[in-house]
Amino acid sequence: MMQDYVVFVGINIVLAWSVYVILLAGSLSFANGGFMAIGAYVSGVLTVKFGVPLVLAALAAGVAAGAIGVLVGFPALRTRGIYLMLVTVGVTVSVKAVIESIDYVGGIQGFGGMVGTTQWHVVALVAMVGCGLWALSKSPLQRILDAVREDELSAASLGINPVHVKLVCFGAGAFLAAVAGSFYAHYLIHVAPDQFGIVLSVFIVLYAVLGGTNNLWGPPIGAAIMTLIPEFVRGLESWRPTAFGIIILGLLLIRPDGLLAFRSITARARGIFVTKRA
Amino acid sequence: MLVEQLINGVVLGSMYALIAQGYTLIFGVLDKLNFAHGEVFMLGGFVCLASIALGASLPVAILVAAIISGLLGLMIEFVGFRKFRSPDAHITAALSSFAIGLVIIDLSQKVWGAEPVALTLPGTLQTATVSIAGLNIVVLRLAILVISLLLMFVLYGVVVKTSLGRRIRAVAESPAKAALFGINVTRVNQQVFFIASAMSGLAGLALAVRTGYANTDVGFTFGLKALAIMAIGGMGDLRGALIGGLLVGVLEALAFQWGLGQLADVFVWLFMIVILLVRPAGLFGTLISKDVRA
Amino acid sequence: MDMAAQPILAVDGLRKSFRGLTALESVSLEVRRGEILGLMGPNGAGKSVFINVITGLYPSDGGAIRYCGRDVTALPSYVLARLGIARTYQNIRLLRRMTVLENVLVAIKDHASQPFRSLFVRNRSGGVAAAMALLEQFHLADKADRLAGTLAYGEARRLEIARALAGKPSLLFLDEPAAGMNERETEELAATIRTSHRLVEAIVIVEHDVAMMRGLSDRLVVMDSGRKIAEGNPADVLTQPNVVEAYLGTDGADD
Repeated sequence: MMQDYVVFVGINIVLAWSVYVILLAGSLSFANGGFMAIGAYVSGVLTVKFGVPLVLAALAAGVAAGAIGVLVGFPALRTRGIYLMLVTVGVTVSVKAVIESIDYVGGIQGFGGMVGTTQWHVVALVAMVGCGLWALSKSPLQRILDAVREDELSAASLGINPVHVKLVCFGAGAFLAAVAGSFYAHYLIHVAPDQFGIVLSVFIVLYAVLGGTNNLWGPPIGAAIMTLIPEFVRGLESWRPTAFGIIILGLLLIRPDGLLAFRSITARARGIFVTKRA
Repeated sequence: MLVEQLINGVVLGSMYALIAQGYTLIFGVLDKLNFAHGEVFMLGGFVCLASIALGASLPVAILVAAIISGLLGLMIEFVGFRKFRSPDAHITAALSSFAIGLVIIDLSQKVWGAEPVALTLPGTLQTATVSIAGLNIVVLRLAILVISLLLMFVLYGVVVKTSLGRRIRAVAESPAKAALFGINVTRVNQQVFFIASAMSGLAGLALAVRTGYANTDVGFTFGLKALAIMAIGGMGDLRGALIGGLLVGVLEALAFQWGLGQLADVFVWLFMIVILLVRPAGLFGTLISKDVRA
Repeated sequence: MDMAAQPILAVDGLRKSFRGLTALESVSLEVRRGEILGLMGPNGAGKSVFINVITGLYPSDGGAIRYCGRDVTALPSYVLARLGIARTYQNIRLLRRMTVLENVLVAIKDHASQPFRSLFVRNRSGGVAAAMALLEQFHLADKADRLAGTLAYGEARRLEIARALAGKPSLLFLDEPAAGMNERETEELAATIRTSHRLVEAIVIVEHDVAMMRGLSDRLVVMDSGRKIAEGNPADVLTQPNVVEAYLGTDGADD
């Protein structure tokens, strides 16, 4: 039981971070459920049908999803950022439909036989992604991302290529979601296309946003709370979408900036001070 | 057989177009995507179902569906968009409208269940056919097609010819300038939401009556596809939504004909991505970026 | 070719129209190394459009732009920035929710052009020293940790110019830097621009303020209705009849 909590909370934390990475550059992705599905199925085929070791398969699945992300993200980002939102919805819908039509991976019935994820895999994954994001937050890259998010036009006239920055972040988010999906599938043993619908993608975004995206600790907190509360509060499970929906609306209306805000002024100053001393 | 499929495609396409015009109207005026729009469409079917169950005739059910959907649109505008009007609030508006959509679906499922609910009209309206040039065509489909096209022409006329349309176009051009000319931007936004949502609700009613079922799933399947159709036609362009809708409807009917029905959803989105690549403004739109104001 | 004689920027027959309205009608001009070029003209003359086309914000409809002898006509703005063309905006575009220091740090050349490299290369100083030195020169060092959005108007202008210089550009465009400033602020700004001039090869200023332009510019170009109507040293140009006429009745108006 304990292992279940660790694995599911850990996976959801990585998923929330996968959305956070994309939000860092000012884009919103409803595709991460779809990328997760790509991860689950690509890694599943690799381990079950070809005997590839799990960790290797997860990385390969991540790279595949990242590549698909860059491929479909480019046309959208080249024109206007808001088009990316449309494309991400399309990714989730399409991935599900494609998987359903491939008999090789079981079609609607789903695909099984994936084993091997332990809680230590997930803990290590969370730790590694967390360390990576922490390093990012202390690097000059954080400021570049802040600039792109705040004002693309202004960033471009300072020599930053906003499309490049957003595309790399989108690809990185896709990578993380797929890796999380790989470990998820190899814990559940059996997955079906139905699990990866648009609602999952929306939930992943809500994990990140409800926790607050003004620093890298918000998304994991959001993911942990949103995963655990329905487990412990009887009856809430069946009201999840309504509860999530109303909570997010309430928070957005009360603190429109709070959820998508920048790091606080003190955190910003401290960040630079640390860089100055070193 | 092929001709029948084509007619089916056009009927399907007219419903896509009806939803897509709502998306595009809201996008054109507010520059935001309304992710709750598909759920208004979904609910239209259930409002019809409930009205009929309460003994209303079809015309009354149509009226009720249009009004309730329109009111729902006003609610969505108030909760999901009123506060998030700044040009850089795309993400916030997307989140809030998606959240509203989640709530609408969840509550609908609480009331009507997650499975499709049968919707039978009194009389033979759903089955009656008429023979035109040797083809048996279901009257209802023909009626849906005619009424949808009529609604869209009326909308086009309103936007192009009337003073309401002038205000809508002014706000679409620039809310700030429109306000300077004494236009009540909030009022225009409400009007746009009411019109768009009423049309979407009617499309939902049409789908439910045609298929004989009201289904809580259709917002995410049918409704989201109209989002892609809007982009294919050109975001913010009414003609584009109409022609894009008909085009996708026909292509889908052909896909079913050729046994590719399962992948029909994928084609729409791939089509959209290809359009973004080769003709970013859509088939008809002119890309007016509101972002570039140096 | 003699580098010193070659103009830093050569614009030839530049055209731009918006939905049938002509904004630029075949504008040609040169910016020479070492000079401050003033670009004047009444409202709607096309000065801002000119800057926006040169810096890659709008695509041009025709004509050629050569920078340091290289054709840069169709390049996007971030490439132009990396090549050394910097600018400020008429309505100041700072990263308002970032600190003053961060605004400058973002523009430090290595970071802006290779954003993801900084994750892997351990260069922790991150250009803070250089950025602080720049802020020092523009009298903003004591405000380094304030949010840019909280600066006073004149300070925000100075910061925008300092930020434009952080990428070590050769050519700097200032789009109406004195707009909305009083006389004292304008004088301070002139001093700031002179400071800037030591750091770049050439500056192009778009401005209404005749007195300031007379004092600052080495050469003046006057535009009206999308065309260049005069060019030369300030004293001569400002007395030309067609320039006086173009300005009558519109002088001092602000858009």
